[in-house]
Amino acid sequence: MTQAMFNRRNIITYIIALAFILALNFLLPRMMPGDPLMAIYGEEALVAMTPQLKAELVERFALDQPIWRQLGAYVLALFQGKLGYSYYYNAPVLSVVLGRLPWTLLLVGTALVLSTVLGIVLGIESGWRRGSWSDRTMLAGLMSLNGFPDFFLGMVLLIIFGVIWGVFPLAGALTPYSGLTGWSAVLDVVKHMVLPVAALTLAHLSGGYLLTRNTMITVLKEPYMLTARAKGLYPRALKYRHAGRNSMLPVVTQTGIWTGRVVTGALFVELVFAYPGVGSLAYEAMMARDYPVIQGLFLVVAVTVLAANFLVELSYTKLDPRVRQVGRAY
Amino acid sequence: MGSSPAKIGLAILLLMIAVAILAPLIAPYDPHQQTQSSLLVPSVSHWLGTNHVGQDIWSQLVFGARTSLLVGFGVGVLATILGSICGVSAALIGGLYERIAMRLVDTFLVIPMIIVIILVAAYIKPSILMLIVLLALLGWQGGARIIWAQTLSQKEREYVAAARSFGAGNSYLAWRHIVPALGPILLVDFIYGIRRAVFMEAGLAFLGISDLTMVSWGMMMRDALSFSYLHVWQWWLLPTGIALSLTIVGLTFIGHAVEPIIDPRLRGAEVA
Repeated sequence: MTQAMFNRRNIITYIIALAFILALNFLLPRMMPGDPLMAIYGEEALVAMTPQLKAELVERFALDQPIWRQLGAYVLALFQGKLGYSYYYNAPVLSVVLGRLPWTLLLVGTALVLSTVLGIVLGIESGWRRGSWSDRTMLAGLMSLNGFPDFFLGMVLLIIFGVIWGVFPLAGALTPYSGLTGWSAVLDVVKHMVLPVAALTLAHLSGGYLLTRNTMITVLKEPYMLTARAKGLYPRALKYRHAGRNSMLPVVTQTGIWTGRVVTGALFVELVFAYPGVGSLAYEAMMARDYPVIQGLFLVVAVTVLAANFLVELSYTKLDPRVRQVGRAY
Repeated sequence: MGSSPAKIGLAILLLMIAVAILAPLIAPYDPHQQTQSSLLVPSVSHWLGTNHVGQDIWSQLVFGARTSLLVGFGVGVLATILGSICGVSAALIGGLYERIAMRLVDTFLVIPMIIVIILVAAYIKPSILMLIVLLALLGWQGGARIIWAQTLSQKEREYVAAARSFGAGNSYLAWRHIVPALGPILLVDFIYGIRRAVFMEAGLAFLGISDLTMVSWGMMMRDALSFSYLHVWQWWLLPTGIALSLTIVGLTFIGHAVEPIIDPRLRGAEVA
């Protein structure tokens, strides 16, 4: 996509997005037909329900009062960091979700860095040799790769390296009860994340690659490239220091948008590898109709993605001074 | 559109459309019919064997194309319509309306739609129609931005000024001049809309969010994966994943071939 057209967003956009997420989280369970207690607290809560607990639960979210009072109670609970209680996991929602989040962040972070760096390098090389045999092969290859859903890539990797060759573990993030410590524990974690990260990286490589290649082609036509060439610079200096650096910027802006996509991919890929991140949690919670966890998860994931997007935009302003002017005008 | 990846993409898409339309003629069995003979290996009567509840995998694969393309085209059409209404009207009307509309678009772009769908699906088991509406509602904003930007540049052209001087109103301008001029952009938006929807439908079905009355490739892959320790992945998981990937690759190739129309700087950047 010609993503350079996307304007930069400012903080108000993020505040509206957050408000929308909160509103959806508040309204959806309360608009459901039937018992709101069931829709807010989940099936497991009803099983354990005593009249006393019921009174307590109704009171907590002011469910017997007008909707604006309920909203007040909801916002107040959020500000106190209370995301509710999961009767399925028998633990506070926040601790259930935060216990899983680091694993997802590990997968997403590693895959984002790897796919961005690899995409930029391949894009520079490909754009430099535009029209050559190697450029055409890379373009066709990466565009085809773009079509493979990340979870299918994950399954293929799982079957080849896990089932047939048995070089990497099939599931999980750690060897259970291994009692590993120090470097061997780190190695264990790395071994478990190789396949899921590889699946995500391969599936998301093409975005950075295509964008860098396209920018590279435009940059190579710039007059300053001719000047640099005329100065007699080495091709490598031309390629990376002059053209490459300028081709990287659009990719950095897009990393924000890609974060959302990689998180989506991670939710699917985690399920393939039974990786204990928020994707697997979402699946478990959906199967168990554990509504408090689904709502908490929704909130935490949304806020994480919003924060990541926002940080990327802040860093972009630092990277490219030209944007500061544009940002002010917008 | 003359490049070879574009031709390959078009060929794949036409093949899939043909399979989807002719599904009842191609599939030898009812894809939902369960039999006692589960997990059969491929044979003359069951080309790709049977699954864990004795359904014919080849028939499921064929009917799965229907679901994928139905969701894909449904979302593509709806999202393109929504995106153009918003983008064109914002650019033509301008002012406060434009600012609010584009702000909303921006807002939706930063929210990952998958988790919104998971939340909604946890409460309402979506039918296929609902899934289409949901995916369209959450997926038109990227297109709206591009359409908005393009309409702004069309607005400055002489022919629009000429039409205005003859008393053309905004809606007349939009229908008779802007939309036809945006044709190729709408086409790219439409194709990428289909691609996104095909991917999301499969992914959501893989997560267990799907209309159970329809056969979905994503659901087939989920079922197949739970038997990955057997050899069944060779004729169950692999063909399904390849069918899904081929569809998406085909759409990517077509989209990539039409894209230089939007960004003229890329013209000539394409390989022959």
